[in-house]
Amino acid sequence: MGETLPALLHGFEIALLPMNLMWGAIGVTLGTAVGVLPGVGPALTVAMLLPLTVKLSPVGALIMFAGIYYGAMFGGSTTTILLNTPGESASIATALEGNKMAKNGRAGPALATSAIGSFVAGTIATLLVTLLAPLVVEIALKFGPAEYFALMVFAFTTVSAVLGASTVRGLTSLFVGLLLGLVGIDGQTGQSRFAFGVPELLDGIDVVVLAVGLFAVGEALYVGSYSSRIPEVMDKITGSLWMSKSDWKRSWPAWLRATAIGFPFGSIPAGGAEIPTFLSYAVEKKLTKYPEEFGHGAIEGVAGPEAANNASVTGALVPLLTLGIPTSATAAILLAAFQNYGIQPGPMLFQMQPDLVWGLIASLYVGNVMLLILNLPMIGIWVRVLTIPQPLLYAGILVFATLGAYSLHQSVVDLATLYVFGLLGFAMRRWDIPVAPAVIGLILGPLAETQFRRALSISQGDPSVFYQHPISATLFALTALLIIVPWVVRRVGRERAA
Amino acid sequence: MSLAAASRRSIAEAVLSIGVLLLGIATAAGTAMLPSQGGYARVGPNFMPGVTGVGLILLGVWLLYERFSGGWRNMPPQEAEARGEHAFHPAAFVWVSVGLFAQMALIQSGGFVLAGAALFACVARGFGSPRFARDFGIGVIITVAVFAFFVLVLTVNLPAGWLAPLFSLIGLE
Repeated sequence: MGETLPALLHGFEIALLPMNLMWGAIGVTLGTAVGVLPGVGPALTVAMLLPLTVKLSPVGALIMFAGIYYGAMFGGSTTTILLNTPGESASIATALEGNKMAKNGRAGPALATSAIGSFVAGTIATLLVTLLAPLVVEIALKFGPAEYFALMVFAFTTVSAVLGASTVRGLTSLFVGLLLGLVGIDGQTGQSRFAFGVPELLDGIDVVVLAVGLFAVGEALYVGSYSSRIPEVMDKITGSLWMSKSDWKRSWPAWLRATAIGFPFGSIPAGGAEIPTFLSYAVEKKLTKYPEEFGHGAIEGVAGPEAANNASVTGALVPLLTLGIPTSATAAILLAAFQNYGIQPGPMLFQMQPDLVWGLIASLYVGNVMLLILNLPMIGIWVRVLTIPQPLLYAGILVFATLGAYSLHQSVVDLATLYVFGLLGFAMRRWDIPVAPAVIGLILGPLAETQFRRALSISQGDPSVFYQHPISATLFALTALLIIVPWVVRRVGRERAA
Repeated sequence: MSLAAASRRSIAEAVLSIGVLLLGIATAAGTAMLPSQGGYARVGPNFMPGVTGVGLILLGVWLLYERFSGGWRNMPPQEAEARGEHAFHPAAFVWVSVGLFAQMALIQSGGFVLAGAALFACVARGFGSPRFARDFGIGVIITVAVFAFFVLVLTVNLPAGWLAPLFSLIGLE
């Protein structure tokens, strides 16, 4: 604790350098501009804007990314509220009340409570990251390869098997991602695997190509095929943009409760901001003094889920920075951004490159403030982005998406791979197979394999390391419980019903 | 659910399930060709591929089992209308694909701007825009702006292609 404050202050010195402030501002602005586009979620926004940072210093690039991340989330909420098209599952709860508010001419307060709520939740969550991260690092420094491997298996299980509509489809997505992660040269022996003699494949499959293919190309193929002929109705912002006294009074307890719900979900490697947003919605619905407004545009129903979403994604930075484990598609792409600079997040990062880590954490505070003061007054401009006709919008998205994939290595092979992933994304979207587990499997799979083989090297091939170390044994037991308990509960429920 | 929609769904589920199964078998076959020596760890570069292959095979079997015992579980409605969508519109799928292939074919020779504008116009066509030439023009404006931004601000070169003489004329290289 005693070391955290000076480290953070030093971080602020870095984040507040004029150049870095500028990168942060550019990131927030671009993130909002792209994130506001319908169908473009935060993961795709971050993936598409990744090439813009190639020539920046690592610190500047990561600060810009923090801005893009927050900007994309805010842009996404705007679209959700005005168009009723949630760009990602974590925004569905917001759409329930937010779009109703917009329809009643209360779009202004809905956007305001979402922006200010995100700011409040994001700032509190960043404070918690600041306090918690050094503690997790202390513990993580004691982790050996066996513990890391166990933790990764735990994360795989939560992102694929526990959340979502179907365990088998989630696991299928994960294993496809793991298979894609195997392509290329094995880091430990130099053996090439599943590269079929294609030199471009020896470097492995880039997570940006996979994410952009699944999210952008797959989405364009899907929307073009199934909903391009349906006119979109946008709700105009009429009336005051500002929240009334009663709006404030009803919003702030929801923000705080939602932060308390969202942060823990993000920070244990359980992934997904979807559950906390729905939990927060349910809590607000239960506690409200105006139950009759729910379903017709209750402001608590926007304030809560939005704050929960922001607290959860900020909380996800704890496992990402301290353990190197991404728990959402967006975090997986952020991890890829780190790797582009040869940085492997984990406990050692706090010791080897404190400037970078604390500069990034400080820039999260700065990014939050920037978001509030830059974006809320400019809401009128962002909304105009939504009036772009759909044909030009998707044409533009694909131009930028292919640019993101092509500029990585300037290779046509990447464009061809992108199309294949686009087809995969189309099929997965159509047949309800989640895509996030594949993205996480691709980036986390090789890391898990490395830890697995390292653990066995140390034990001379004795697999008992995984259950004789207490931490890894506990994690494996938890993983097993995660799979068994819901299954048993469902069984019992069915027998009772029968 | 209409009969046609139900049979389309069960065919698609069977094809996808078998696809996962075949992918698993292919992975397992590919694994058999990898060396197994692992040094101290006693597991080599073929261990994870083996686990992945076996996993995919089991998942393929599991999906097939669901397919033949009432269909995949918890699926969204099969009818497009119930999902708030319209029936499959093949022209859009084809135009988006054509755009992406045109870009792949053109990017090295014709350059980033022409390839990107072709992609732009094809995708817009797929989404129902009737004005191909205008869309191509808009595509050129956007890609020239991106090209200039990459060259001047990021100092990253994108292929100039057939327009290279034009770009060098205005000092964009």
